[in-house]
Amino acid sequence: MSEKKQKQIKIVIAGPYAAGKTQFINTISEIETVQTEAKTTRKGEKEVKNHTTVAMDFGRITIDDEHVLYLFGTPGQERFDFMWDILGKGMVGLVVLVDSTDPSTFHEARKIINYFESRYPAPFVVGCNKQDLKGAWDPKDIRTALDLDEEIKVLPLVALDKESVKNVLLVLLEEIAKHL
Amino acid sequence: MAITGSLETFNFIDIFQILKKDKKDGILVVEAPTKKLAVYFKEGDIIYIRDVVKVFYIYLDLDFNQVLKKENVSKEDLYQYLVSRLPILLALKKGKFSFTPGFIKYPPDIKPLIPLEKIMMYLSRQLSQEEVDRKISDMRLVFEKSENWTEIAKKAHLTDVEKKVLALIDGTRTVEDILNETKINKLTLQRILYGFLATGIIQRKRQKKRKIGFNLTKALLQKIIAKIKGL
Repeated sequence: MSEKKQKQIKIVIAGPYAAGKTQFINTISEIETVQTEAKTTRKGEKEVKNHTTVAMDFGRITIDDEHVLYLFGTPGQERFDFMWDILGKGMVGLVVLVDSTDPSTFHEARKIINYFESRYPAPFVVGCNKQDLKGAWDPKDIRTALDLDEEIKVLPLVALDKESVKNVLLVLLEEIAKHL
Repeated sequence: MAITGSLETFNFIDIFQILKKDKKDGILVVEAPTKKLAVYFKEGDIIYIRDVVKVFYIYLDLDFNQVLKKENVSKEDLYQYLVSRLPILLALKKGKFSFTPGFIKYPPDIKPLIPLEKIMMYLSRQLSQEEVDRKISDMRLVFEKSENWTEIAKKAHLTDVEKKVLALIDGTRTVEDILNETKINKLTLQRILYGFLATGIIQRKRQKKRKIGFNLTKALLQKIIAKIKGL
């Protein structure tokens, strides 16, 4: 008997460089996240971490025999933004992560939101990562900094914490439910 | 929680946008290489700018009357001091900023003397291409006027060109459409839209119906929710 092909449901995890996308997927995925990394080369990036995602990361959560949920992490560096189009097509929802302790990356997060909102306006939420660290901005202030109105959910997040990651995904799924 | 950062990546318009939006009271400290300034905010508007030698000195004064007394400034002279010190503040492009909410107690007769919206639009007219690209990053963006746009626009003292652009923002035209219709240069349009967004005159168009790229049923969605909850 041939194995039945599972249908793939796609959620995209986007965000600026070092926002915690790979960690977010790692925390919740049932398989070890498949990563496509390259060495960081640019000044500034190298001081933050040595490797970065260049194509995509993905994690998976099996829903039932027929369906599997894939979490695709986009590359954080602008030079790999050609991947956004590939990942945006067919997604059911989008999580945009920001590093709450680094306001210099908020502009990049806004650009990512602008890009997806103009082309693939799927339901989306913002996860304000690293809320456990000193100097983290309040999600309320991050909302204003990203030019988001009250209808978009902007949530506190610690990507290392499973319950926190689950909460962000569940809020996204509630948002998706509103549009079914 | 913190509102801190570097002026090189987060300019005064961006800072003012956050303080104005939530009508915050407090003190913004700007530490530039050559100058340290404390900017007093009441309900999101600038009340006073103070030159400080050491930052911790400003936290010794809990009452705004005490600040005025120490500075030897009368309430009647506040406007004059503000007007003379604003250009010094706004000229700072490098350094750190941090905002401490609350903290200072204002007497009820202290009112904002210059609308922050006017300052923000003034600043937006001088933004660089790199700065405007941070907010107006896509020519396909569509904006709509906010609920209280008339009130904000009045305070912002718009120029004729800005008024012309505002008239075209209707929730259907893209940035590209507005550029083609007005025939103004791209940087000017981006500056105007940046200022409008920061002051709250306009907002991104709300998506009434969002696209879901999969034939998702309610039953399947409930299954996914149950699975995530159970992890």
